Amino acid sequence: MAGVCAVCAVSALGSLPLGCNQAAPAPIPGDSNEDAPARRGGILHLASFQDIRNLDPAGPSDGLSAEPQHLLFAGLVDFDDRGYLVADLADHWEIADGGRTYRFVLRQGVTMHDGSELVADDVKRSVERALHRTTPNPNASYFAGITGYRAFASDLTDHLAGVSVEGRYIVSFHLDEPDATFLPMMTMHTLRPVCRSAGDRYRDDWTPCGAGPFKFAEWQPGTLLRLVRHDAYFRPGLPFLDGVEWSFNMQLVAQRFRFSEGELDVLRDLTQSDQRRFAADARWKRLAGVDADKRVYGESMNTRMAPFDNVEVRRAVAAAIDREHYRLLAPGYMTVLTQLIPPGVPGYDANVAGQRYDYAAALEHMRKAGYPYDPATGQGGWPTPIVYPLYDRGLLVFTAQLLQEQLARIGLRIELRLMSWQAFLTLQERPGAAALSQGAWEMDYPDPSSFFDPLFTTGAIPEAGHNVAFYSNGRVDHLVAEAHRELDPERRRDLYREADTILCDEAPWAFAYGYHRFYVRQPYVRDLTPHPVWPLEATRAWIDRVSDAGFARLLRGAIR
Amino acid sequence: MTYLARRLGWSIITAWTVVSITFALNELLPGDPARMVAGLQARPADVARIRDRLGLDKPPIVRYARFWQRLVHLGRRPIDRSDPAHATCAIVVAVGPRALHVDFGKSFQMGLPVVDLVSTRLPRTVALGLAAVAVQLVLGASIGTAAALRPGSAVDRLLVGASLLGVSAPTFLIAIVLQTLFARGLRWLPFDGFGATLGEHARCLVLPALTLGIYGAAYYTRLIRDEMLVLMRLDWIRTARAKGAPVWRVVIVHAFRNALVPILTAAGLDLGALLGGAVVTETVFRWPGLGELSVRAALDRDGPVLCASVIAASLAVVATNLAVDLAYSRLDPRIIARRARDSR
Repeated sequence: MAGVCAVCAVSALGSLPLGCNQAAPAPIPGDSNEDAPARRGGILHLASFQDIRNLDPAGPSDGLSAEPQHLLFAGLVDFDDRGYLVADLADHWEIADGGRTYRFVLRQGVTMHDGSELVADDVKRSVERALHRTTPNPNASYFAGITGYRAFASDLTDHLAGVSVEGRYIVSFHLDEPDATFLPMMTMHTLRPVCRSAGDRYRDDWTPCGAGPFKFAEWQPGTLLRLVRHDAYFRPGLPFLDGVEWSFNMQLVAQRFRFSEGELDVLRDLTQSDQRRFAADARWKRLAGVDADKRVYGESMNTRMAPFDNVEVRRAVAAAIDREHYRLLAPGYMTVLTQLIPPGVPGYDANVAGQRYDYAAALEHMRKAGYPYDPATGQGGWPTPIVYPLYDRGLLVFTAQLLQEQLARIGLRIELRLMSWQAFLTLQERPGAAALSQGAWEMDYPDPSSFFDPLFTTGAIPEAGHNVAFYSNGRVDHLVAEAHRELDPERRRDLYREADTILCDEAPWAFAYGYHRFYVRQPYVRDLTPHPVWPLEATRAWIDRVSDAGFARLLRGAIR
Repeated sequence: MTYLARRLGWSIITAWTVVSITFALNELLPGDPARMVAGLQARPADVARIRDRLGLDKPPIVRYARFWQRLVHLGRRPIDRSDPAHATCAIVVAVGPRALHVDFGKSFQMGLPVVDLVSTRLPRTVALGLAAVAVQLVLGASIGTAAALRPGSAVDRLLVGASLLGVSAPTFLIAIVLQTLFARGLRWLPFDGFGATLGEHARCLVLPALTLGIYGAAYYTRLIRDEMLVLMRLDWIRTARAKGAPVWRVVIVHAFRNALVPILTAAGLDLGALLGGAVVTETVFRWPGLGELSVRAALDRDGPVLCASVIAASLAVVATNLAVDLAYSRLDPRIIARRARDSR
């Protein structure tokens, strides 16, 4: 899900012209004062240059689908607007058997979009539907720790033994071993309860139906999606909006035009010049914001291929990259990143001694590696050019050129080789095929394990994961596995800190930059603040424009 | 009749060849369609499960054989979509309770029957293609004829120069100019989109059709001008003038009708190409047609959608060419006589 988004994020920025030299448009004021109470009504109009593929939480997803899915489907647990894990459809939960059992007691009287009451059977049915062998769920194996998963996934049993209904409102999950990532993973959309109309098994033609604040109204693939308020939402009085509408495949210039006309309420896909214009305009200062940093980008070095099988060469690369130069390519979107975990991910530890730019140290590491380089004469270094595969997606082309220039200064000559995205993926994961390539990853679920496990454990070397550096370190494997089981947050943080410190030192990746999205909203869009985890949380948002309903109807044709 | 049968036979061979090449290319290109469905970050175990579900675990030759076996087959009327064997079918021709089904399978990415996707998108592309060709012909014929009537004059130079500008400007540039002028400036037309009602569809169609029309009209302007210049110097035109026929009659009835054969040939080819999808224009104007669908299918390695798009596009080209061939005989009866002579 998130991987596509991580790639799209940087591609959107570089793929369009920078725009004309115009001033930012004037904000359209709301009808009330800043301290006016929230009121019901209005449609929130959003747009994207992308399209969505699926609305079923158990099916294949993408970065954009997560927005409507989050509004359609509520989970047993969720992250609140401060990033704390809280009960949602569950009233509360208990952990038993030393962390092997999670017992959820459901709220009573939760009404789903079809009018039925949510009960424990619905939770079990939804989980079994999402994890069944015939479901195209790209996240199913995350839940392999639930007792009986393998038998169920292999079709040896009809039901998942590890999920048991213990009463009308009580459902328990039994795990093979304690797993501290279980609750964060339960916040993912994939296991969120769905209506009985979904049946026991996945179907492509199901109309989305859950227990979220908004319910499905209309979807024209490639064009439009409309959700309307779920009046029987279990949190009284919420949501305030009558509905949320997305327009898809909309060019950035068209989005900006519509935003300036008040036909779009939030502008999230901007050209670089528009971003600079809005960010520099005092009228838009308090209306602009960025979402949380949940993506890590770096230079992945194949630890099984020369010269990166030599840890000193990898350290040299990590020290030779001036991350501030990367950031300056798109200052409104990129942040300097010196460690694996981006600051927007729960569990980020500012105390990790990360990688730093130090040119003298980089030269020293090259000398220790046996490839001394003399910057004055340009003599020495690694004798042959290193092929750097890349695909033509916006910023990545620019960062590759920057890398080429920076590594030349320590005697590593990079040969850029442009190819299709599919070819790039294939090459990167083939043993012995790509010595140096760009690594990118986005948080799948809000926990450090979402980064450590798939990227740097021995078990995730490409046949089974995404460890494209082919990095293997017994100590890191042990620390990550231990952190998985460790339920004490303090102890867990220490384990991840040690693992992150090892990675920064041994440098299978030179961590380079994080990426966040910039957005501006019109002043009449109220209480729509960036969520620390989810791309869109509109449950408390409201429209401070009385004329909006009629206005929207009038313009609906034009917006489509 | 023999000619028609021969053309239909060639059409089937053309479609088969194009689809086979597409199928082979889709197989040979690097990348895993299951991975494109699952997402870049999906674990290999999940990708493998999705690969099985999509039937990609079977060898390419088996899938190729199944594709053709399923593509056109006999079935019931109406289609029972709850029957897994016909869940993704559509009817081509029906005779009593029996019908000829067409089945492209399900889209890997969207999970929807491909026939539904194509049948939704194709009419939109046909509407855009027809509107664009109409604009091209009307603009091209008017400007080209006006230029031909005053060869070498300032009007001729201005119109020919403008046509050069039109043919040199890429469609995305024309699109942006039209959007800025008619949608943003004058606010007469929607910026982009498809609309919800027939009236909105028509309003949304204007700018993309004009974009393609202006781009193509430049070519027709030059073609018609050159044809008309030659025709207007011929003896029978001079005779018509000498007999006192009004200018409009000389130009339209005597000269322009004779210029139609090459124009029709070019228009037929253009229409065929546009029915395959005007990718850039559809993308800029968010016109949800076949072009946008097929490009996305190619990028996402969505084989069933890609093959269906290719079949639709190749059949469109074949059909328009056939229609143009048949129209020739209407315009110039000598062509029928020549075909009859050739077939003997």
